[in-house]
Amino acid sequence: MAREFEIQVNGKASRVHAEPDTPLLYILRNDLQLNGPKYGCGLAQCGACAVLANGKPVRACMVPLEAVGKTEITTLEGLGSPQNPNPVQAAFVKHNAAQCGYCINGMIIAVTGLLNTNPNPSDDDIKQALRHHLCRCGTHMEILAAAREAADMMAGASPLSSPLGEKVAEGRMRGSPSGVENRDFHD
Amino acid sequence: MTSPRDTKKAEWLSKSEGLFVLRDPQAAAPDAELFLVIEPSGITAFCGHVDLGTGIRTALAQIVAEELDVPFDTVTMVLGSTDAVPDQGPTIASETIQISAIPLRQSAATARHYLLNKLAVERGLKPEELAVEDGIIRPTNGENWSVTYGDLVAGEKCLLALDPQARVKPVSEYRLVGQSVPRNDIAAKTSGQWAYVHDVRLPGMLHARLVRPPYAGWDFGDHYGTSLIEVKRQSIADIEGIVDVVIIGDFIGIVAEREEQAIKAADRLEVVWREPQVRPDLNTPEEALRNNPSEERKLGEKGDIERGLEGAAQTFEATYVWPYQMHGSIGPSCAVADYQDGKLTVWSGTQNPHWLRRDIAQLMKMPEHDIAVERLEAAGCYGRNGADDVSGDAALLARVVGRPVRVQLTREQEHQWEPKGAAQVIDVKGGLDAEGGLAAYQFDTCYPSNGAPLLANLLTGRVPAIPITFDMGDRTAIPPYSFPNMKVAVHDMPQLARAAWLRGVSAMPNTFAHECFIDELAAAAGVDPVEYRLRYLTDPRAVDLVREVAEKSGWVEHSLPGSMGSEGDIAYGRGFAYAVYVHGKFPGTAAAWAAWATEVAVNKKTGEIGIMRVVAGQDSGLMINPDGVRHQIHGNVVQSISRTLKESVEFSPTAVTSKDWGTYPILQFPELPTIETLLIPRPDEPPLGVGESASVPSAAAICNAVYDAIGIRFRELPLTPERVLAALNEREPEEETRPTEPKPAKRKSLIAGLSGLGLGALAAGGLALLSPIKPAIPTIARPDSGVFSAQTIEQGRLVAAAGACNVCHVGSDGTAFGGGRIFETPFGNIVASNISPDPENGIGNWSYPAFERAMRKGISRDGHHLYPAHPYTSFAGASDADLQALYAYMMSGQAVAKPVAKTELAFPFNQRWLMSAWNAMFAKSETFTPVAAKSAEWNRGAYLVETLGHCSACHSPRNALQAELDGAQHLAGGYADGWEAPALTTASMSPAGWDADALYAYLRYGHSPHHGPAGGPMAEVVESFTALPDSDIRAMATYLAEGRETAVEARAADALEASMAARDSALVTAPRGARIFEGACASCHGENSDLTSLALNSNLHSASPNNVLQAILNGHEAPAILAAKTGREGASLMAMPAFGKLYDDKQIGELTAYLRARFAPEKPAWENVGEVLQDLRR
Repeated sequence: MAREFEIQVNGKASRVHAEPDTPLLYILRNDLQLNGPKYGCGLAQCGACAVLANGKPVRACMVPLEAVGKTEITTLEGLGSPQNPNPVQAAFVKHNAAQCGYCINGMIIAVTGLLNTNPNPSDDDIKQALRHHLCRCGTHMEILAAAREAADMMAGASPLSSPLGEKVAEGRMRGSPSGVENRDFHD
Repeated sequence: MTSPRDTKKAEWLSKSEGLFVLRDPQAAAPDAELFLVIEPSGITAFCGHVDLGTGIRTALAQIVAEELDVPFDTVTMVLGSTDAVPDQGPTIASETIQISAIPLRQSAATARHYLLNKLAVERGLKPEELAVEDGIIRPTNGENWSVTYGDLVAGEKCLLALDPQARVKPVSEYRLVGQSVPRNDIAAKTSGQWAYVHDVRLPGMLHARLVRPPYAGWDFGDHYGTSLIEVKRQSIADIEGIVDVVIIGDFIGIVAEREEQAIKAADRLEVVWREPQVRPDLNTPEEALRNNPSEERKLGEKGDIERGLEGAAQTFEATYVWPYQMHGSIGPSCAVADYQDGKLTVWSGTQNPHWLRRDIAQLMKMPEHDIAVERLEAAGCYGRNGADDVSGDAALLARVVGRPVRVQLTREQEHQWEPKGAAQVIDVKGGLDAEGGLAAYQFDTCYPSNGAPLLANLLTGRVPAIPITFDMGDRTAIPPYSFPNMKVAVHDMPQLARAAWLRGVSAMPNTFAHECFIDELAAAAGVDPVEYRLRYLTDPRAVDLVREVAEKSGWVEHSLPGSMGSEGDIAYGRGFAYAVYVHGKFPGTAAAWAAWATEVAVNKKTGEIGIMRVVAGQDSGLMINPDGVRHQIHGNVVQSISRTLKESVEFSPTAVTSKDWGTYPILQFPELPTIETLLIPRPDEPPLGVGESASVPSAAAICNAVYDAIGIRFRELPLTPERVLAALNEREPEEETRPTEPKPAKRKSLIAGLSGLGLGALAAGGLALLSPIKPAIPTIARPDSGVFSAQTIEQGRLVAAAGACNVCHVGSDGTAFGGGRIFETPFGNIVASNISPDPENGIGNWSYPAFERAMRKGISRDGHHLYPAHPYTSFAGASDADLQALYAYMMSGQAVAKPVAKTELAFPFNQRWLMSAWNAMFAKSETFTPVAAKSAEWNRGAYLVETLGHCSACHSPRNALQAELDGAQHLAGGYADGWEAPALTTASMSPAGWDADALYAYLRYGHSPHHGPAGGPMAEVVESFTALPDSDIRAMATYLAEGRETAVEARAADALEASMAARDSALVTAPRGARIFEGACASCHGENSDLTSLALNSNLHSASPNNVLQAILNGHEAPAILAAKTGREGASLMAMPAFGKLYDDKQIGELTAYLRARFAPEKPAWENVGEVLQDLRR
């Protein structure tokens, strides 16, 4: 039976009326009109619907509404906006790290979640964090470069070298995905 | 609400000011081809092609801004929508930049010349005395004034004809084209601000899901569109919010107010279909293609092929087989349609808006001009996915319900029904002369079509579902090498499965054959493969590219395999391939040239191939946006590695069985190689399409590198570990048996049936001894709850919790003790009774003696025998005080005035009197007596476990007569409700073992870190236990832990290590199961998971696959739901999906084999998976 639930999304309490087994994804998209999380498989395989639950990535397609309780849910919209992106979003923009962009929600959520628990990840940590996030366009290289930069930036190694939307300076990628010498990544 | 609509041409043209560039200014609005509008407020340009995620929105804006010399961000692109843009055909074949951008550039040049001329006349200057920079027009004569295009068009309206001869800017003056301008869509896409077609929301919009017919993945055949026999609407009658179930032919759409309602209804709707047609085997497609009727079309001839082959010193023949593959868009297709007053608007992610409009007009029997296709971006599609189909579906539903309808395909539907990339079979014959030079080349390629008409047109019968032959098999069929004698032909044939163009259509398979074969010829000639190619390439740009890529890769010349050596089980190799992607109608147009040099590692133990490095070079002519080109190369490299190593659509005889990312896996981040790109600068050459070229050489380069590594030629894809391993083991690849439809197996219960011996024992042991007839105990008026003290009732509540009475006796609607739950037993189904205090239907008129007799002896008030599903053999030991308290509690509760179904067993089990004999044999009557030598806690635990908790009812094995075994068998593991109840003794299969802390955690929280979560009925028991004090839980743990394991941590660590060590052997044992696990399970159960590893889960180590199969079939509730009741923190919010409908028995069998081999490596494989699976599926 449908009933009233109060959930915490992007720092706000929202009341919704739905069946308890409704996947959170549809509540976020249809009731709260949030476009960040995307339906990709409904099976927790691809990661397109990922959101943060108390700072950790979960797949909203498999989270029943009644399981949410008081968990703080953060969607892509809650991380930042084009005008005021979080460091991961800014790095993704800087590296043009999207083709169609359908998977990008999950990628940014996963990297943000990784950096929440591991502020200094190795390249292998990044790949493992993204292992079950699928991208069909093959934007992997740009996504890894963006993740690396976001990690380095948050570790204080350097600030983003250019404000959002400006021409990205050509340059070599600092660090590289493990086992991969990406020396020509930017040439 | 997000309901984006592009401004219609008619609205643009009705504006009162601005400059409008059209193909023909006289044409009326719907047919007018409007390319450019300059207004005081900005510049808008229109293109009939769409952005599929490749960034052409950015590149096209660059072209327009360049030609006008305005800032990039002042140009807005409108792409695709039928009422706004010109019809430039579908966005295919890398044509956008090469072809569709031409009129845009010309329009911008036309506008520029017109406006500058106009200004020059006004100012008395010559046009060449004006300069434009960043949108500001200034005189070059030193006068101090400036204007903008906007100023020049203000207050006036001008329709201008596109001048194809207008002088365009020379490349030497380009400042924007050729620069890596950041894409103009990514900031919005990284913050959820970008509206995809999936994000369209209209006021009053409904949600729909579809139910597709069983012939999933075909678009022709018997009874197509006429297979529907019956839709049982009653099966979804209880689901709220259903607006309509629309049925037209074999099309079924369910429309609901809310999305989750439509999802539930589509899952539950019972539909009867005709048996689907049996099709040829397409898993190994060679035979099916050879048997498919075809027509030869000669593409090229040179010299005399027959004499060339006859005269050759050496001849070679090879057959190359390409599998069916998927586009595999990450977002299943979605569309929204709204039909009002005879006009239809469809919001679609289509690749071909104008074609789609024609298809929908046919479907709906509407004039095209009454239909507007609004094109929004969708998930990338690399060809043709379900975007068109779902648009037709939405149109049908919107007209029926008269409200806007959003239709979302499921992952399964997208996988099964998207038009696939077609399989191909290519036969090559070649000859070398005495010096090892090329003498002859004969190339025959078979390509089974790619029409894929709109699905709704087929399912509804609007368009006949018949095989149709297309002619797209000729892409890059002509080899790039100069053979003195050559014959090339394509064998056009109708489709074998639903297929359409997929990135590098036919060119990628054709190149696989060309470039592998040339490698074989080079090896036969004893010449380095790059050197050999260079000898016979005639195209100078190809020669440049091949040289540069080889050099950048550090190519080491070699004529024998093994150029990179090996280390232990790992062999390394390098490979090369080159191709130019030719698209369009034969002989076609060349897109960018591409070449690969790659380095691979082959694990000779497991058959796995890792791509270590790819140097991908491309000659793209003028590059509009070099970063965009580079990203397209990266994308093509990653996707084509995936296709080469992993991808092949699987079919049953009647349907596509690749339905998710477990059964159709794609490349993941840890598998990425180093990718180095090489862009040949050719700014003076025309720009070429770059969306597909870098895919084309991939498969050949990889196979050639694998040959260098292990000396084996692979001529069929994908290069799965089992294929490689089979070749390494010098045997033919194991013939892949076709998945067969499950045969109805003989029903065999999980619990041993009642044997003849058992019946005999009953007769002999029972009838003679006892009178079966028990007296009824008179009814009483339901006791007033006031007669029981609050304390007694509370004690009774705890007794009921310890006994988890409500787990079995819960009402079918969830009300406490209402009864009705059905339990399967070998004798038939037993229905739990209503034990609420309702006098009519429950036990409200039972006296305490009647209650006590039922509890202890299993005899109902009216004297009939209860079946031992009611665990009276355990309750017999309960204390009087507890039973009295339980009676008080039960009598004080809410009466449920609802009868339950009667238990009806087949003869002889319906003879309840037989139970008296059973009782004589198996029932005990003594109450629990504490063991003096044991602690009070131990005794309390023993009492709870053995009497009230009746743990043995599930956890002890039973004999043929369903009596619990005792002695060493007591609590040694049993079955309950289709679940195995694991042993609670040292017979436990838990690798970590159970100590008191682990047992406490499990019973208290429903989860123990070294064991995982409680599932099935045990989760409900744990929930019931939440009422019990900690001391009782501790007591049970203490009792059960007696004599049990220590060193749980160390044992757990050992089990984890063993599972890690078993990775390779499990992969070899069950390679297909390994892929399903990685794609479908490992996102939660992988190495990085917070969940308890499956290596510690008793179920994986059990003698029976029962519980593992239960979990796979039915999924698992989100642990957080139970955790919220038990007070556990940090439990996962995510449920486990049910795979019962998604996977067939073969797939579940493969997965289960892997799980066992990987997570219980010391245990033998389960032999009876198929049998148990059939039993559980019933």
